[in-house]
Amino acid sequence: MKHILFILLLFILIAGFTSCKKWLDVKPQDGIIRNNYWKTKEQLQAAVIGIYASLLDNSLVQDLFVWGELRGDMVVSTQFTSNDEINIMQDNILPSNSYTDWSPIYRTINYCNTVIDFGPSVLQNDPTLTEDQLNAYLAEAYAIRGLMYFYLLRTFGEVPLQLKATSSDSLIQRIPKSTQQEVYNQVMNDLHIAQIYAPYTYGDRNEDKGRITRYTVFAIEADTYLWMDQYDSCIAMCDSIINSQRFGLVDGTNQAEWFNTLYYQGNSVESIFEFQFDQQKLNPFYNLLISGTRHFVAAPTVMDEVFGIDMTDPNNKDIRGDGGSVNAIDGTIWKYAGATSGSTMIMRTSDQSYAHWFVYRYADILLMKAEALAWVGRGQEALDLINMIRTRAHALDYTAESPDPNSPEDISTYILDERAREFAYEGKRWFDILRICKRNNYELINLLLNAVTKNVPGYLQQTVMNKYKDVRSHYLPINQNELLVDPNLKQNPFYQ
Amino acid sequence: MKRDVILKNIFIGANLVFIVLFLIWMGCKKVPIVYTTSDVVNITGYLDEHPDTFSEFREILKITGDEGFLGAYGTYTLFLPTNDAINAYLQKIGKSSVNDINIDTLKALVRFHLLMDTLYTTSFTDGKLPVLNMYGQYLTTLAVNENGITHIQVNRQAYIIQSNIRVGNGVIHVIDHVLEPAKYTLAQLIENNPRYSIFTQALKATGYYDTLNILPSQNPDTLESWLTVIAESDSVLQAAGFSSFDALKARYDNLGNPMDPNDSLHVFVAYHILYGALYLADIVSSSSHHTLVPDEVITSKLVGQTVLINDDVFNGVHEPGVVLDRSFGDISATNGVLQDAMGHFTVKVRTPFPVYWDVCRFPEIMNLPQYYQKQNYSFTLNNMPSFINDPGPSGVNYKVGTTFVYGDYLEIPLGGPGRSPWIEFKTPLIVKGKYKVWICYRTAKGCGSCTNVNQISIDGVPLQRTMNFTTYMPTGTDAQMEAQGWKYYTYPPSANWASQLVGTIDIKTTDVHVIRFTTLQGTQNTNWLDMIEFIPVDMDQIYPRFDQQGNPHYQ
Repeated sequence: MKHILFILLLFILIAGFTSCKKWLDVKPQDGIIRNNYWKTKEQLQAAVIGIYASLLDNSLVQDLFVWGELRGDMVVSTQFTSNDEINIMQDNILPSNSYTDWSPIYRTINYCNTVIDFGPSVLQNDPTLTEDQLNAYLAEAYAIRGLMYFYLLRTFGEVPLQLKATSSDSLIQRIPKSTQQEVYNQVMNDLHIAQIYAPYTYGDRNEDKGRITRYTVFAIEADTYLWMDQYDSCIAMCDSIINSQRFGLVDGTNQAEWFNTLYYQGNSVESIFEFQFDQQKLNPFYNLLISGTRHFVAAPTVMDEVFGIDMTDPNNKDIRGDGGSVNAIDGTIWKYAGATSGSTMIMRTSDQSYAHWFVYRYADILLMKAEALAWVGRGQEALDLINMIRTRAHALDYTAESPDPNSPEDISTYILDERAREFAYEGKRWFDILRICKRNNYELINLLLNAVTKNVPGYLQQTVMNKYKDVRSHYLPINQNELLVDPNLKQNPFYQ
Repeated sequence: MKRDVILKNIFIGANLVFIVLFLIWMGCKKVPIVYTTSDVVNITGYLDEHPDTFSEFREILKITGDEGFLGAYGTYTLFLPTNDAINAYLQKIGKSSVNDINIDTLKALVRFHLLMDTLYTTSFTDGKLPVLNMYGQYLTTLAVNENGITHIQVNRQAYIIQSNIRVGNGVIHVIDHVLEPAKYTLAQLIENNPRYSIFTQALKATGYYDTLNILPSQNPDTLESWLTVIAESDSVLQAAGFSSFDALKARYDNLGNPMDPNDSLHVFVAYHILYGALYLADIVSSSSHHTLVPDEVITSKLVGQTVLINDDVFNGVHEPGVVLDRSFGDISATNGVLQDAMGHFTVKVRTPFPVYWDVCRFPEIMNLPQYYQKQNYSFTLNNMPSFINDPGPSGVNYKVGTTFVYGDYLEIPLGGPGRSPWIEFKTPLIVKGKYKVWICYRTAKGCGSCTNVNQISIDGVPLQRTMNFTTYMPTGTDAQMEAQGWKYYTYPPSANWASQLVGTIDIKTTDVHVIRFTTLQGTQNTNWLDMIEFIPVDMDQIYPRFDQQGNPHYQ
């Protein structure tokens, strides 16, 4: 009897003890919490890949396209363009404009911050993770954070530097804006760390183009140095890539093959870093650039003025023009819309809209180097590089310029024109215009004014031009919602 | 026992008292109840909220009695001057406070700053706002850059300090100066400016001074209530060889009576006056504008940043135009706008010249060397060439073929379900005059019973005869055929390439016109349009004919 009682008691105790444990367990059943994460190197890798996944977010790429192209001179609106988009094209940018929302960028930055903050703790939990591997993962996070802040620097000028992971509500910080110089310093800090640890290769072509390699870091650094007019450093970074002998220009003899390799397939030998859209994760460009209700088409002047047309010989054409960047007949932005090029041009269908987003290509490295060379008195070398790009592309004589090799301004102007052809619709146009024109206290601002007034209606021309003459208007306003939630943020002066 | 009951009663009573007291205490506490659905203030309320900056304007509203209607619901745009602005205004007119100003002046001032619509800065242009202010004048906007800082300027008088403040009954833009109405009519404005002394004399001599000296509200002719004058300064006239009004009169006054509408000096002045209040932004928004000379237009365009008028290609010859000066132009008057021409211009006497228009010579196709004159291309409704207005559902096809002039033609499916009911083309520039209109096409039947009868109209005026794309041309001598309204248009002549006379049209203005094909009967795709010819009635209608290279061949 006593035994039975004892056993019963024991049973109850055991049952009670175990059930209580479950009952008190408040961890989510369908997810994983941080204390249980960051244990293995697989989890670390998953977190890093998560950063790349966040880059494929629709609104992020759409923002990059809008920020980089709409204030330029190469896209025009259709009847389906949204008001916010038209207002950017006509420089009527208010803080209520949805494209001033920077949250897609900061979301990715937060993923990077999370990896940077918690990644190192994996080292204590997973003995199979080496220090080198950890650093390589961290380098990817640092590089992407640097790249994201570089986009913010060029788009907004002054932005708050959020460098800690916001992993719980209590950690939401209200931080003021940092100056452009501080943002630049932070970008450089991140990139310097990334440059030391990023791997040269992942042993796989697609991963090499889709993840941060050391060459990607060099490329971002070159771009950033050039933005801040640090020409020697820019040249050094470009040379690191050029001398690696791992990259080259895709042959342009056959336009169809060139288009297929470089743009349709992507991840070519010319590519340095691309956002890897695929059949599972389509890009937002079907709605934006391809479908019957698309928002943007190429400006009607693009073929005439940018690429040139040989009226006598239709076979003599710049491969980057008709069939490369645009479809000359209806202005479709072919870089993202084309499935084929050359003699038969077939458009991508909605389930084929996975053209990559090209962040850096080898051609970019060559032209960045050329731009830096022009400013350090090596003009002839710069012209040689430009000609290399032009030869590959079968550029027409009509678009050839012969600037004085000793005039960095003239060469820069040529480079700006050449970049318009080479990187048409790759989200670089406005940044190129701004970088080249703002140099030496806006010495070449007339180029910018010509570009921004080209496609605005005549009745707005003077207003738009005078707004752009105020250089503070070259950076977007901070979105009004951000100002509401963070009283430490101050609106950029032009929009106050 | 009794004591117990008493105690119990006391206890209950105390409890009751406590409950009553508690309820009273609770009742005394004010429960915040929101009676309004929104705490957004109206314009008057906004002024009350910011007495530091806007007390003076609030005071004005009180005097004029406008505070009530600006406190009620509505859709207004208010350009709101700050206290500093109003004080500066008071100083300027020599008054010490707003109470010293005549109430009618104040009422006018308030109305001048108010518009009956909500306008955000996104709808501002280089020119006038889309609605009149309540005073009855147009306000203008422009972004101006001063020392690298850009402001939006209103009426060239005030900068906007704070924009797009949304209030319950509209939107407020805060400005740093009081806006003042234009004081002078166009006539006075020109007379007061010594730049225009010769032009003023011309205005007076021709009687247009009076036309330009009427306020819009008092003008019996509503068409002429708002006018725009493109004045020529003395220096421009001197450069053109007119050192004085007498010289100008000597040159133009052919009838000796400048008041006569047929007198050339009269025409010269009338040609400088346009209908409507046209700021430069409005002038560049349209390609031509009517002048007070009946049926004479000036054409306008924006080249780079330069506004040009009458810069045209006539009969293949480019005639350079006249630049409108930005710094002297865009001046508001009570009844319109004053513009300043940097060159001398006048009505050109043009004799009508024939327009042999190959409809396939348009830039959208000519810029495609791989297609132009080489292969067919279909234009859908999404990428229709700019000179075509096609309501859909069908598009047009560019096609190549031998014998056709320039080796190409336009296939325009027309007529009923699945095909567009009509189609419009913008013509090249046609000088005013009387023309015979010939439609040149390749006869083609889409099917044995197909037919496609079209009425042709120009600027909405139907021509006398219909034409049918499936009709074969009758044969005969040139003269016989012309008598029946037919001719060969290709070289060498070919029976299936027909040109049909659809009528005679009196083109009223030297301008681009719109020709429209409206299908009356039948429907088919194979409407193969090659050329449209406008030939002055007194000219040879049969020659030239055109070969496949587009070269003309004369008799």
